[in-house]
Amino acid sequence: MDFNWTREHDAFRARLRDVLKRHLPDDWAEQSRYDTSSEYTSKFSRKFCPILAQEGLLIPHWPKELGGEGLDGFHHWILGEEMVAAGEPRSYQYMSVNWVGPTMMRYGTKAQQEEFIPKIKSGNFIWCQGFSEPDAGSDLAALRTRAERRGDRYLINGSKIWTSGASFADHCLMLARTGGERREGITVFLVPMKHPGVEVRVIPNYIGERTVHEVFFTEVEVPAEWRFGDESNGWEIVTYILHQERVGIPRYAFSMRVLDHAVELLKKRGAFSDSAVRARAGHARAACEATRYLALDVINDRVKGRPPSAKTSIVRYSQVRSDRLVADFLADYLADELVSGQDRMIASGYKRTGSVGIASGAAEVQLDLIARNHLDLPRRR
Amino acid sequence: MDFDLSSDQSVLAEAIDNLVGRHHTLPSVIAAHYLPGDGLDSDLAQAGFFDIARSEGMSALEAVLLVERVARAPVAVEIGASALVVPLALPDHEISRPVALADARAGSPVRFLPGASSLLVDAGSEIRIADVSRLNIEPISSTFAYPFGTLTSAILDASEPLGDVSVELLRQWRRVALATEICGAGKSALDLTVQYVKDRRQFGRPIGEFQSVQHRLAECTMLLASARMMALRAALTGNSLDAAEAASLAQEAGTRIHHETHQFHGAMGITMEYPLHLWTYRLKALQGEMGGLVAQTGAVAALRWDDGEQP
Ligand SMILES: Cc1cc2nc3c(=O)[nH]c(=O)nc-3n(C[C@H](O)[C@H](O)[C@H](O)COP(=O)(O)OP(=O)(O)OC[C@H]3O[C@@H](n4cnc5c(N)ncnc54)[C@H](O)[C@@H]3O)c2cc1C
Repeated sequence: MDFNWTREHDAFRARLRDVLKRHLPDDWAEQSRYDTSSEYTSKFSRKFCPILAQEGLLIPHWPKELGGEGLDGFHHWILGEEMVAAGEPRSYQYMSVNWVGPTMMRYGTKAQQEEFIPKIKSGNFIWCQGFSEPDAGSDLAALRTRAERRGDRYLINGSKIWTSGASFADHCLMLARTGGERREGITVFLVPMKHPGVEVRVIPNYIGERTVHEVFFTEVEVPAEWRFGDESNGWEIVTYILHQERVGIPRYAFSMRVLDHAVELLKKRGAFSDSAVRARAGHARAACEATRYLALDVINDRVKGRPPSAKTSIVRYSQVRSDRLVADFLADYLADELVSGQDRMIASGYKRTGSVGIASGAAEVQLDLIARNHLDLPRRR
Repeated sequence: MDFDLSSDQSVLAEAIDNLVGRHHTLPSVIAAHYLPGDGLDSDLAQAGFFDIARSEGMSALEAVLLVERVARAPVAVEIGASALVVPLALPDHEISRPVALADARAGSPVRFLPGASSLLVDAGSEIRIADVSRLNIEPISSTFAYPFGTLTSAILDASEPLGDVSVELLRQWRRVALATEICGAGKSALDLTVQYVKDRRQFGRPIGEFQSVQHRLAECTMLLASARMMALRAALTGNSLDAAEAASLAQEAGTRIHHETHQFHGAMGITMEYPLHLWTYRLKALQGEMGGLVAQTGAVAALRWDDGEQP
């Protein structure tokens, strides 16, 4: 057991910080508002990710054969920490790095890999994830969007909701039912967002400019080659993706930065001598650190090639708790800054807590998974 | 970065488990608020485990592995001070065990004071030591599952300053030991409860099938995992902020665990005959040690955002 970073890990982090320092503009906070989904950030990502690619920092953990650097999974995590702490200048291209790419390598056909891997590597290609539907949220297996086979094509009809980044994404990895009930008969498709019959509507919300959308598929005709994986093999792929995704975003990296910033502000106005304030800050800090090390433990399992476990859900739930402790601290002691919204970091640190217990699986679903898979408690009848 | 125990550490952990496991058997009647751990104590001494942190190639991590496992046992053994705090905070001192640790508050109950050989007192700006083996110790009859004795002014007066010892360092390792002991007792209380909710049936099903029961036990699991992770980290880094974080998370987890584990045992949990109290009444005792949660989180704040803790 050893909680020290290697010299390579430290050097890697230093390189990332250097690149961020050189390439984030002076008015980054003002322009991006630390909003992954803003028009500014998404456009910025299309310039910034190619720079990362050039520096070998876009997909460092991918195998060399696929153009990565073949570095261990901790490098991937360090990359995530530094980007999230900076306000995610990759916009949703983090999804390509975290789960689209790895899923593509595992389940994609040769042709699909040849088409999409170079696009992801270019740093100018944004994916969105079309899973959730109006009647299929936590219960994803209830999804109803249909894909009917017509010779060598499929006809897709249905709608998706809560799709992040859909209005500016290039491509959607989406689920549709090709037959069967529940988990049987779900199939994955890769559909260009500009394809005829695909329509997108932004849903105004409290988290980010273009964080959630509705996506309508009306008589969308797609060739069989756009099917991803075998017909009816969707659930296996979904499970794989969710395991990559659920411990994918080191959200605490931003929360910890926000907390440090909040304490600085309070100190400046002489409000950090109050023992209640100090205790609350210390509590939030300890919880964030715990989330961080629980996450690193999962990465350790990944690096060692172990199958995903219920530890993933423990991390997710710890993340919910620590983010909420930070947000409550802000709301209680920096209410003026919060309401006026002038301090971009405080505003964003608070806002994003609105989705931490919901996106990529509700907190209660994580607790169910811990109870069932970690504590081995009986399934509900 | 490597979260796996080395093969030596795994072998060691297994050896400790085997030794401590022999003392997990419960007496047919539990008639006291705690079970004295004399047998386990002498087995540990014979195996040389109290000196683990001073042994060749070993350090705080091995001591934490030991303290956690001993704290899982149903018997109460003075382990944290001897195996972790003394060797790490006072490496150059020979201090005979058992060791009681206290803050300089006359009248306060002190864990393991009856039967202790030495007493270490955090007197704010200095550490004081007393040979208590020959002093008159008033035992306290307490429901909290440790032997407690009263720290009298006479004992404090009999103590002497221990030179060249850092108060900060003592506090740091006390926090690691505190966190680790909570993790051990918390794990046993939680394990017992998880088994209980699988076995106990009401409404025609195991109560562990109810989602509110499942979720609260899952939350306890997360809190305990957090505390344990940070205790290991504090052991490995030897950093005072990490130690304060570990103690914060542990006191929070311990509090939550004793409430929930009792809740899910229903009336059975409040009886003397059922063993849950052997661990939960330790958790309750540890909840307020070193000033309790707010003192630990306050220490986190001081160590993270100020220049450190004030005496
Ligand atoms: C910011 C954000 C971004 C998102 N991005 C995407 C995306 O890009 N692509 C995509 O496909 N989806 C996305 N989602 C959708 C997300 O996956 C769903 O919101 C989530 O799975 C929950 O589904 P729901 O919102 O329909 O809530 P519901 O399933 O209706 O649940 C509502 C609440 O009920 C409770 N609940 C539900 N099930 C249980 C249960 N079994 N036990 C106990 N309580 C329960 C929970 O408290 C839950 O929050 C996003 C969501 C958010 C908030």
